[in-house]
Amino acid sequence: MTDRTLAEDAIPARIAIPVELRAVAIMLTLAAFGYVLFPDDLAFLTRLISIALLVLSLDLVTGYSGVATLGHSAIFGVSAYAVGNLCLAGQSDPLLLLVAGALAGALMGLASGALITRFKGLPQLVLSIAVGQLVAALANKLSGLTGGSDGLSGISPGRVFGIYAFDIYGRTGYVFSVAVLIVVFVVLLRIVRSPFGLLCRAIKDDSLRARMIGARVYPRLVLMYGVSGVVAGIGGSLAAINTGVVGLDSVSFERSAEALVMLVLGGAGSLWGALIGSIVFQVFEHYVSAANPFHWMTMVGALLIAVVLFAPKGLLPLAISLTGRVASALRSRA
Amino acid sequence: MSVKLGLIGAVAIAAASMSPAQGDTIKVGIIGTMSGPYALFGQNFKYGIGAWVAEHGSKVGDHQVEFIYRDEESPNPAKSKALAQELIVKDKVQYLAGLYFTPDAMAVAPLLEEAKVPMVVMNAATSAIVEKSPYIVRTSFTMWQNTVPAAKVARAGGARKVAIAVSDYGPGIDAETAFKKTFEAEGGSVAEAIRMPLNTTDFSPIMQRIKDSGADMIFTFLPAGPPTLGFVKAYIDNGLKASGVKLLSTGDVVTEPDLPNIGDSGLGILSTYHYAVSHDSPENKAFLADMAKVGAKPDEITMASVAAYDGARLIYKMIEATNGQKDPEKALAAVKGMNWVSPRGPVSIDPATRHIRQNVYLREVAKQDGKLLNKELQTFDAQPDWGLAKD
Repeated sequence: MTDRTLAEDAIPARIAIPVELRAVAIMLTLAAFGYVLFPDDLAFLTRLISIALLVLSLDLVTGYSGVATLGHSAIFGVSAYAVGNLCLAGQSDPLLLLVAGALAGALMGLASGALITRFKGLPQLVLSIAVGQLVAALANKLSGLTGGSDGLSGISPGRVFGIYAFDIYGRTGYVFSVAVLIVVFVVLLRIVRSPFGLLCRAIKDDSLRARMIGARVYPRLVLMYGVSGVVAGIGGSLAAINTGVVGLDSVSFERSAEALVMLVLGGAGSLWGALIGSIVFQVFEHYVSAANPFHWMTMVGALLIAVVLFAPKGLLPLAISLTGRVASALRSRA
Repeated sequence: MSVKLGLIGAVAIAAASMSPAQGDTIKVGIIGTMSGPYALFGQNFKYGIGAWVAEHGSKVGDHQVEFIYRDEESPNPAKSKALAQELIVKDKVQYLAGLYFTPDAMAVAPLLEEAKVPMVVMNAATSAIVEKSPYIVRTSFTMWQNTVPAAKVARAGGARKVAIAVSDYGPGIDAETAFKKTFEAEGGSVAEAIRMPLNTTDFSPIMQRIKDSGADMIFTFLPAGPPTLGFVKAYIDNGLKASGVKLLSTGDVVTEPDLPNIGDSGLGILSTYHYAVSHDSPENKAFLADMAKVGAKPDEITMASVAAYDGARLIYKMIEATNGQKDPEKALAAVKGMNWVSPRGPVSIDPATRHIRQNVYLREVAKQDGKLLNKELQTFDAQPDWGLAKD
C-alpha cells in the first residue's frame, strides 16, 4: 500500500498535472466511451455507477482504514429507502433527493461506525454482519416504510434542474450519475491524501503505533465511517432515483458481500482499484448472464477463482506490476 | 431438378424483395427465474414456450418469432426492471413475458406504456398486477382465484377454526384476505393469521403457534419453490398431521416435482389449483408429449409451463392480429375475450380484467401406480379473479 501512495504522489510532481485533473480527464473519457459505444446499455451503466459508489465507500473503511465489514449494504439500502419515501412524499427534485440520501447515509454510517469500530478482527466482522442483518430484517418487517418483499415502487423523480427528465433510455440518468461519480471521486481523492486520510491508513497499518504518536483512533475511524456513509448514501440515492424501485436486495447480505468481492477484485486500498473492480465485475456479470441466463453464476465463480489464483491483490496491482515490468524491459533494451 | 430449384429460388427472392415485412424477426423478452433456488420455474417457462413452438413452429405468418431469456433470479424488483428496460431499449423486443414474482412484475409495469410493449404475466399472482398497466394480460392464476374455492371447500368439509400461514408479501396477503373473507362469510372463524417472511426456512416455531391456537385446519400459501417443501415437512414432523389437523393450501405448496420428496406421509393433503400435471384430457396429453419433445422430464413439469404455453399462444395471436407491427392497442384487443381449451381445461381472457378465467380443481395427494400425484376431486367451473371481479 505504502509504496503505491508514494508512487501516486511522485507522478504529479514530475508531470505537474494535479491528480484530480487527471482523474476527471480519465473518467470523462471513459464515460464518453460508454455513452458513444454502448448507447443501448445506459441503464446498465447507470446501475453500475451506483454500485461503484458503494464499492468506493467500502474501500474507505476496508481498504483505507482496515475495518472488515460485511454489512455495508445497510447504509446503501437505508439511503435508498429514505430517498424513495421522500420522493413518494412529493419531494421530487433529484438534487434534493441526492442530498437527503447523502445525509441519511452519513447518519447511518456514523451510527454503524460507532458500533462496529469499537471492536477488532472477527468480532468486528460478525458485528458488521449483525448490523446488516438487523437492517435487512427491519426492512422486511416495516413494510409500511419499505414495502417489504414487494419493494417500494412508483418512485418518479422530477427533472434535473427542471429541464432533463429521467426516461426509459437512461440518458439523463447516465449523465447525472457520471457527474455525481466524478465529483465524489475527486473529493475522495483529496480526502484519502489529506492528513486525516493518511492517519486512517496509519491506523490500518498499525493502530497501536498510531495511538503512540498521539492519534485518537476510535473517533477517526467513526468519522471515516461517516464519510463512507455519505458515499454509500449517494450510491443508494442514485439507485433509487434511476431505477424507481427499491427492493430488499438493496439491504441484503449478498449486496454487501458482492461489494467486497468487487473491491478485492480491483484491489483494496486504492480508489482506482475499487472503481476498476466494480466495473470489471459488473460488466462481466452483465454479459455472462445475458449470454447464458441458466448457468451464468458458475462462470462468475470461475472468474473469481481465477483472480484469486493469479492476482490475489486485485487487478489494479497486477496491472501496475505488469506495466512496470514492460516499462523496465523496454528501458533495459533501450 | 436444378432448374426447378433455381426457379423456386428466383420466386422466393422476388417475393422477398416485394414485401419489406417478409423475413422480419419479432423479439419477445422472457424474464424468469432461470438460476438459483427457483430455477425450476424459469426452466418451465422455457419448456412451455418450447412446447408451443414445437407444435406451431417459430413463425407467425411471415414473421420469425425469437424468444430472449433473462434471469430475474429472485424477488428483485430493481434487477427485473433493469432487465426489462434493457430488453426494450437494447434488444428492441415487441413483447415482454414471464415474471415469476409479483414484486418483479410490479416493477416492470410502469415501463410498458412508455415503451408501448404488451406484457404477458406467466406466473406472478397478485390480483393488482393487471391494474398497474393496461398492457398487461395474465395467463397464470391469482391468489383470489384459487383461494376462494379453498375456503368454500374448507367450510364444506366441516372446518370451523382455521389457522392461516402465508408468505409476507403481495400474493400471501392476497391469499390471507381472500381466505379470511370467504371463510368468515361462510360462518367459520380464523384462530390465527401468521405472515412468514419470504426467506423463512425453519417452520417449526410456526407449527407450534398453530398447535397452540387450537385450529382444526391450516390454510397456507408460499410461492412454489424450496420453502414449500420445508413447510409441509414441518407440518408432518411436528405431529400436526398425526393429531388430525388438516392442511389445505393452494397448489403452489404441493407442486408435482415436490411430491416425491414429501413422500407417502403427504398422502391426503388437500389443495385447490388450476392445473394438475395428471389432469385427464386430450389437450393435456398432447401438451405433455410436446413437453417431452423439448426435453422436459415428467418430474419437472409444473403450472408455470402451462402458463407459458398459453402465454405463447397469446403472443402468437397478438403478432398475428397486428401483422408484426408495434400496435399494443390492437394486440390487446385481439386477445381480450379470447377463449380456448388449454391443457388445464377450458379458459378465457376476461375482457375487463385481462386475467385468465379458468376452472379451479380441488385435489388430494394420492398414489396411483406407485406415483404420487394431485388427484382431482371436484371442479369449480370458470372461476374469475375474485379479487378484481365486480360480479
